Amino acid sequence: MATTIKIDPVTRIEGHLAVDVEVEAGKVVRAHSSGEMFRGFEVILAGRDPLDAQQITQRICGICPISHATAAVLALDQAFGIVPPDNGRLLRNLLLGANFIQSHLTHFYHLSALDFVDVKAVANYTGSDRVLQGVKAWVAEQVESRAIHPAAPLLPGYNGTYLSNSEGNMLVVRHYVDALSMRRLAHKMGALFGGRLPHASAIVPGGVTQDITATNVTACGSMLRELRRFIDRAYIPDVVAVGKAFGDYFALGAGCGNFLSYGVFPETADGAKRLLGCGVLHGGKRARFDPAKISEDVRYSRFAAPSGLHPTKGRTTPEPTKAGAYSWIKAPRYDGHVMEVGPLARIMVAYHAGNKAVRSLVDRTVADMGVKVGDMVSVMGRHAARAIECKLVADACVRWLAALRPGTPDARPKPPKRDKDGKPIRPDTPEALKPDRANRPTCTRFRIPERGAGVGLTEAPRGALGHWLTITDQKIAAYQCVVPTTWNCSPRDDKGRPGAVEQALVGTPIADPAHPLEAARVVRSFDPCLACAVH
Amino acid sequence: MPNLTRRSLLKAGTSLAALMGLGPSAASALAQGLKQMAAGHAPVLWLQGQSCSGCSISLLNTERPGPLELLTGGTLSLKFHSTLSAATGHVAVDVVDTWIKAGGFILVAEGSIPAGMPEGCMFGGKPVGEQMLAAARKAQAVITVGTCASYGGIPGSAGNPTGAVSVVKFLHEQKVEAKIIRIPGCPAHPDWVVGTLAHVLTFGPPALDEDGRPQAFFGKMMHDNCPRRGDYERDHFAQYFGEDGCMYELGCSGPTTRADCAWRLWNGGTNSCIHAASPCIGCAWEGFAADPDVPMYGVSAQQKKRDAPPPSPLPLRRVM
Repeated sequence: MATTIKIDPVTRIEGHLAVDVEVEAGKVVRAHSSGEMFRGFEVILAGRDPLDAQQITQRICGICPISHATAAVLALDQAFGIVPPDNGRLLRNLLLGANFIQSHLTHFYHLSALDFVDVKAVANYTGSDRVLQGVKAWVAEQVESRAIHPAAPLLPGYNGTYLSNSEGNMLVVRHYVDALSMRRLAHKMGALFGGRLPHASAIVPGGVTQDITATNVTACGSMLRELRRFIDRAYIPDVVAVGKAFGDYFALGAGCGNFLSYGVFPETADGAKRLLGCGVLHGGKRARFDPAKISEDVRYSRFAAPSGLHPTKGRTTPEPTKAGAYSWIKAPRYDGHVMEVGPLARIMVAYHAGNKAVRSLVDRTVADMGVKVGDMVSVMGRHAARAIECKLVADACVRWLAALRPGTPDARPKPPKRDKDGKPIRPDTPEALKPDRANRPTCTRFRIPERGAGVGLTEAPRGALGHWLTITDQKIAAYQCVVPTTWNCSPRDDKGRPGAVEQALVGTPIADPAHPLEAARVVRSFDPCLACAVH
Repeated sequence: MPNLTRRSLLKAGTSLAALMGLGPSAASALAQGLKQMAAGHAPVLWLQGQSCSGCSISLLNTERPGPLELLTGGTLSLKFHSTLSAATGHVAVDVVDTWIKAGGFILVAEGSIPAGMPEGCMFGGKPVGEQMLAAARKAQAVITVGTCASYGGIPGSAGNPTGAVSVVKFLHEQKVEAKIIRIPGCPAHPDWVVGTLAHVLTFGPPALDEDGRPQAFFGKMMHDNCPRRGDYERDHFAQYFGEDGCMYELGCSGPTTRADCAWRLWNGGTNSCIHAASPCIGCAWEGFAADPDVPMYGVSAQQKKRDAPPPSPLPLRRVM
């Protein structure tokens, strides 16, 4: 006889998510993941100026706005028929890289750690670390003041089994505090080139508007050094420590076991070579990615039919009281199959493709945790993959930074050129639009076409992200997004097959139905973002 | 802190209530809040409607005080925030309900309310609009953070599918009397939020303009503080993204947007939109994204102007 446990709201994610699990004999047998917030970005974008896209889509999400900006400008670049100069491509990589680092640090420490770490134990801290002494004093003073919910927001939490090793516990608490500064620093680093974070203004079709100077390059290098030190000396060791302490979570939350990655961080102008490659892993077998195989079902989603549309034909017609629907999230499928996206997907795809850097890091980390590569397909494996990827991206940022070429003082695109007769060439003719290589600009000029279409496929911290756009009469005719958490937190598809999180929850043991901490750990390992999922 | 007798707290609560434009019944909730403040625990309830969480992420970028100091430094106590709280599921619902019942907290609202589609934003199985109303009725102060909560923003734009409105509009339409402080911005700058909270907790509500925005941050136009103002004065205009010159012809909203970002800079004094050679898109402006026919940039308009055929020359005089 199954009991249904509702987790509503799931906190320490982004946005509004409710999960319910049916438990029989102490284990989850069925789960439902429900997106609980809808805004309708695809509707809102229709009819707007195409250049509004990379600004408006950033507001789909405040944790990964650069991913949306990237997907939007990739689609616009294609629709406009332009290619950013190398500087522009590198700056976009650095901006997205900074966003990845910020997002992953925030996820492990500020979103996930409280599921594993006992904040109450800080009351017994006897060491000499000033920060921990400060936190201890605060907790003590809060309890003494007899305030309602002392030490909020770090308490109260679910009852459960937390890190028992006192020293390890304290180290993660200390790093939770440090990570507050580190994630802020990652955003600061991105702002050097983006203008500000979150919601960077400097990303445009054709590149990035911010010019490159010795000052911003040096500052970026300094910030990157500090971030990489934290990733190597705190973040990865903490994930390893938590992984060892919660070893049973390598056998939980496997999910569908299919992985999809569009690839991200182009290393060449044509985007053919990427830091993390494009690929599909279905049942452990590699397959070539075909974007035509993406579709979205809506049987259990609060949208009007038809179901199974490719995003180029996609529609978003909300039906808030649709019978049988239980989520605002559509159900994306690849070739009809359920897919998981995210750091684990990217790492698994890269590992199976023989990526040396990924293999080396993964092999070393799994050895440190005392598990095998196959065990990565799990709750703990997701945390490990995220940390490994964070290091890879941060290390790559060093390379991209070194490849930037500051221009000469008048390195920005110049006023109208002149033809051989001395007459000014109309500024937007192909002749004038040729990039001024000698001055090494960061963005190229463009014309907005009367009609056009473009696709932007990239990866957000949480997984595969696609924007599909068509332009008619110089306006956005249609805009569809399929976002990482749409894949991961998807409801059942038309055939009744549960989405990745819904599958991952099956088999999770729940010790105390009033405190389903184990289920929360499974859900959070996917790093859900609901504003993204529904958009 | 002055002598904390129950009498003096109640008296302070009554004057604070009057300052906030709240009724006398709010006095005892305020007194409880003040007692908390005196102990360094001004309770803050941060509730999200249709939000991207960008304003919360931006808040975490606060430099002085940093986020740890903000949370544990003794000025305020963040009782609930969906992104940070350990509380999950029924524990979270319990925390929020307890505070709404107790009253005496500062309500910070982020995100819009789907007034035309209550199912469009749910928390613990209930529409977020209901939660926001209940909380606003018991709050000692209401602060809307970000353009969505303050003016409707992108979700509230014309033709949006959920009938989304700002929290300000929602509360007024539901006849909830609360003096609201509006901090727009997409996202809101952490200094604006932290500065306003600090002012409220130390001196009471700051000087507000007719829209309820703190004058300290929104008193001037972006244009007044623009680093490219000199180019504007000299009629030197950028024609394309990335160029030097005033970006007015690229559609810069500086002249119509009240905010101090070009002076204050973002991310701890690192940069700003204008300094990064991108035009202001007016994200703190009351009309931001509201009209789908008003593009964020003037680039399309400029292209149309350049494309327009030159005026035809005067007809030749025929000499007969």
